[in-house]
Amino acid sequence: MIRNFPAHSYARISCSLMLVVCFLAAQYSAAADAAPQVQLNAAKAAPRAVEPLTQNSIVRDYRVAWNSMSHALEFNSLDPLNGPFTGEAKTGLWQSVVSQQRSGLGRRYADQTHHLDAVFYAPEGDAIELHDTADYQLQFLDKGKVIHEEHVVAHYVVLMTPSADRWLVRYLQAVPQF
Amino acid sequence: MRRLYLNSANGFLAACLVAALAASCSAQNITVPISAVAGEPASIAITGSGKATLYILGPGISTKQEVNLGEDLKLRGDALRNAGDYHIIACSDSCHSATFYVSAAKPASLTFLVHPSRVPVAQQDAVSGVAFPFDQFHNLVFTPQTINFQLSAGNASLLNRSVNTQAGVAWFRTSSGKSAGALQVVASLNDFNARRVVQQVASDPCNLRITGQRNAQGILVQTEPVHDCSGNPVPDGTIVSFTATAASGKSTVDAPIKKGVARAQMAASGSAVISGASGVVMGNEVRVGGQP
Repeated sequence: MIRNFPAHSYARISCSLMLVVCFLAAQYSAAADAAPQVQLNAAKAAPRAVEPLTQNSIVRDYRVAWNSMSHALEFNSLDPLNGPFTGEAKTGLWQSVVSQQRSGLGRRYADQTHHLDAVFYAPEGDAIELHDTADYQLQFLDKGKVIHEEHVVAHYVVLMTPSADRWLVRYLQAVPQF
Repeated sequence: MRRLYLNSANGFLAACLVAALAASCSAQNITVPISAVAGEPASIAITGSGKATLYILGPGISTKQEVNLGEDLKLRGDALRNAGDYHIIACSDSCHSATFYVSAAKPASLTFLVHPSRVPVAQQDAVSGVAFPFDQFHNLVFTPQTINFQLSAGNASLLNRSVNTQAGVAWFRTSSGKSAGALQVVASLNDFNARRVVQQVASDPCNLRITGQRNAQGILVQTEPVHDCSGNPVPDGTIVSFTATAASGKSTVDAPIKKGVARAQMAASGSAVISGASGVVMGNEVRVGGQP
């Protein structure tokens, strides 16, 4: 049996579909905007100046590192830690995720902004120390439910070292101030 | 009238009491350590009465437990091994939080990066080293430390410099020594040493001298023993290029140094001018006459 819909019904369906599409697009856009914002000031780096291409790489790889760390600590997944971290940073985050898996807790970092200052760049370019003034919304989760939320301005000391094709976070530690 | 007044006062007092009790049950005041050190125990206090769920989230730790409000909670040293921010959240009918910072313990090791692993002698600012002090839990130590850098080759001391760490790092840069061989590079902090070895090798040849003489096969050319400008023998395997320019044209032969000398047989029947070069260093020219 074929039912004939009146023309205004088609218009309503079209409108609804468009609204759904708009809503999904807005969600996607919001997700894209959620990527950490990273700025680097390398003017005071010493004893070696940071080349512009290196600056770009560091900004790109530090953003990826925080994205991966946020994902790992929110969803208690170890996989995101495999790319951008090495050494003590990887070990420490690994412990954090394993501990969260056991306790059922989680941490969600939202609206991240990172202002990086390069304070030391080794003479041979094999290590860079950054000071990160990070600003984000931190949510603590218990079995996926937010139990506490706070706005955080944190200071991190970061050591990054180059690998074959990217910079890796080797050390990441919060400090009270620089 | 008086009775009414008393009733009002009692009501007011009762309301105050209820409000105070309610406040004491819900508003937990969390007292956290002002300064905590990695690996050392600490205690936190949460005011109030009854039970609450306590969450501790820090670097490498994430716990959830039931606690009695009003009692001190002891945190063991092994729960505070990682330096950084620790978040304490206590939830009963509402949640309250506090944050404290755990700093690194005293230095217990050095991470020491030295470059390069091989270096020609007498090169300006060719050797550099970077040292990071860490505590026994692998936390970077940010409090200023004095690190002593020592460079020595054989019995000769090339550098002895004390550098204070800034933001957890100390570094040096210096020239390589004059003689080929092992360069010992040591970074010391208190009783801890980190030792690295840089191999110093001869630099480019200096005063490259060649000789040539005719024989039955043509011209035999060879260098005198090849040294760098500091007198170190240039390693065997270094290539010396001999070029013969004659009326018939130009020919080049590459020969590796063996036992300090490079030697080549060149085919040239007439008189020729022979020159030698190694890398960017040119040697002398010799003229060899035609076949007798």
